[in-house]
Amino acid sequence: MYVVRPVEPADVGALETLLAASMPGVHTLPRTREKIAALVERSCASFAAHVDIPSEETYLFVLEDLEHHELVGTAAIHASAGSNGTYFAFRNDVIQQVSRDLNISHSVHALTLCSELTAYSQLSGFSIRQRDKTGHEAALLSRARLLYAVLAPHRFGDRFFVPLAGVTNDDGQSPFWDALGRKFFKMDFLDAERVIGGARNRTLIVELMPHYPVYVPLLPGPAQAAMGQIHPSGQLAFDLLTEEGFEADEYIDIFDGGPILQAHKNALRSFRGSMVRRVALEAQPPASKDATVNYAVASSERKFRAIVVPCAPAESSEALCLPAWAQQALQVAPGDNVICVRI
Amino acid sequence: MLLIRAITLDDVDPLIEMARQVGSGMTTLKPDRDMLGERVKTAVASFAQTIPPEQRDYMFVMEDTSNHRLAGVCAIKGAVGLTEPFYNYRIGTLVHSSRELGVFTRMDTLYLSNDLTGSSELCSLFLMPEYRTGHNGKWLSKSRFLFIAQFQQLFTEKIIAEMRGFQLDDGTSPFYEGLGRHFFKMDFDHVDGLTAIGKKSFIAELMPRQPLYVDYLPEDAQAVIGQVHRSTLPARKLLEQEGMHYEGYVDIFDAGPVLQGRVSELRAVRDSVPTVAEEGVPEGECDITLVSNTKLDDFRMILTQTCNGGSKVALNVRELQLLHCQAGDPVRTLSLNVRKNSNG
Repeated sequence: MYVVRPVEPADVGALETLLAASMPGVHTLPRTREKIAALVERSCASFAAHVDIPSEETYLFVLEDLEHHELVGTAAIHASAGSNGTYFAFRNDVIQQVSRDLNISHSVHALTLCSELTAYSQLSGFSIRQRDKTGHEAALLSRARLLYAVLAPHRFGDRFFVPLAGVTNDDGQSPFWDALGRKFFKMDFLDAERVIGGARNRTLIVELMPHYPVYVPLLPGPAQAAMGQIHPSGQLAFDLLTEEGFEADEYIDIFDGGPILQAHKNALRSFRGSMVRRVALEAQPPASKDATVNYAVASSERKFRAIVVPCAPAESSEALCLPAWAQQALQVAPGDNVICVRI
Repeated sequence: MLLIRAITLDDVDPLIEMARQVGSGMTTLKPDRDMLGERVKTAVASFAQTIPPEQRDYMFVMEDTSNHRLAGVCAIKGAVGLTEPFYNYRIGTLVHSSRELGVFTRMDTLYLSNDLTGSSELCSLFLMPEYRTGHNGKWLSKSRFLFIAQFQQLFTEKIIAEMRGFQLDDGTSPFYEGLGRHFFKMDFDHVDGLTAIGKKSFIAELMPRQPLYVDYLPEDAQAVIGQVHRSTLPARKLLEQEGMHYEGYVDIFDAGPVLQGRVSELRAVRDSVPTVAEEGVPEGECDITLVSNTKLDDFRMILTQTCNGGSKVALNVRELQLLHCQAGDPVRTLSLNVRKNSNG
């Protein structure tokens, strides 16, 4: 029995334990108690803030195992990716070169440093314990952020993106970085990520990274092969996000070449498929499993909680019949409104 | 005896014959009757001054007066890039620096440029193999500088020469393999052939328009930027002695260097001497010297041992005949070799 909820000040200790377990590929979460506490504080302030225009808010959600009273996962969303500066990415461009006189035309793949993602909302910090053995709770954790955005659209942009960690070898070296960023930063990939704190919106990026298109055919083979490829640890997140409606291919990360998934909110299942329903008490458990559907259900912007619960299909009814344990987990009562989407 | 003179229409046939021996690698001298015939016509009109200076193409031939065969050819184009774009890479520097990280990175960059548009160009130098002896090659190359010194007003400020770039023994160009091939998907020879028939600018249009970081290129391609073909090394040295320098412009295909010089700073312009011909035997310290007449429409030049630098220059009857000069006519002289103890 899992619930996703906003992080609370009391979670700092548990978070420290959770995040201490090394998670390769996740550079966007702090590891020290001090920084974790600061992030939690910022998140609490963000949830409490009255927002007119999305800006510096960061919302951190935790996945809690209610049975064992344990935190087992985190997921975050930034209201605006470039609130502290410009968010940089490489855009995949195809440059058409045509010579009519020679009757030659060909296209050249180039990477252009761009800042288009700056105003997007950014999903980040997705981590879950025992990634390989998870069930619906992973999907719930990934999706809960978006359900919160459905409930509080004014807090977010119309477009969302998610950078996923790119390919690195066993020593933590990135072939894409070695062919590109290293030439400008003159340091190892992990060192660079450390000094920049996983950020992509720092002035030093524009100071150091190439301003002119990078012609892909000129990159060494391993670097080309790493473009748009995810780190194996990101497979779960990648699958969940593409199922949600995110698309890869347009942008890649400027450091490790990992894919940046992006979508307009109307293309996302959480936005398109979610329904507002009134809570009703489930009179009796459904006769069989076949008669139920797994829903991700979220309560409200003010007291946000999300769970996965199997219940009777609600498409053609005004109410969502929830068992008592679900109502309790969501902290809702019959008559309250919730949103739900098939998981 | 050998003579260098302005080309005439009678030279077209022997010139085509000579072009057959040139082989690949020289794009401006292909055995094509229409192309060469047209070029010689332009050259004749250039010496006659019936076309504007920027359209001119001064071609010179070296003639063996004993058998009236052509021994070599060379040319100066009045201006490049005025009818179709003239492309080079300029090697520039971009500094990427972050005070915060304490990183300072200096990157060489290739910029596609038309910076040399309007320059006069030394080109199309070829000497028949059987005449590659003594001072002939040196003289043929340097003859153009004496011409420029005599007719400075005809030339723009800048003189350039494109040098053939480095190639491996099998004829491949590491620079082309590392860069151009990705954008053309054809062999260097094919591209070279297209540039010969005047399609260089079309090809340049297929090259990346944005600056390129040299660091992205394979190491062997980086290493040959600005390097000449082995066989072109002596030619490069000659031009450098005459006051031309490599200043960071290279060919877009093979990265061969472009040498450039200001007209006013050429050795020939500074050191050549306008003087008067007299019939006689040179006395005093003699030097191998280029002597030319001063007639644009009948330009002629010889190489001889004479005293260079006086108010008169002694020439024998035969030499005066070759120059179409008589005693008392103005001539211009230039020592073939750079004087080592020259004090300015």
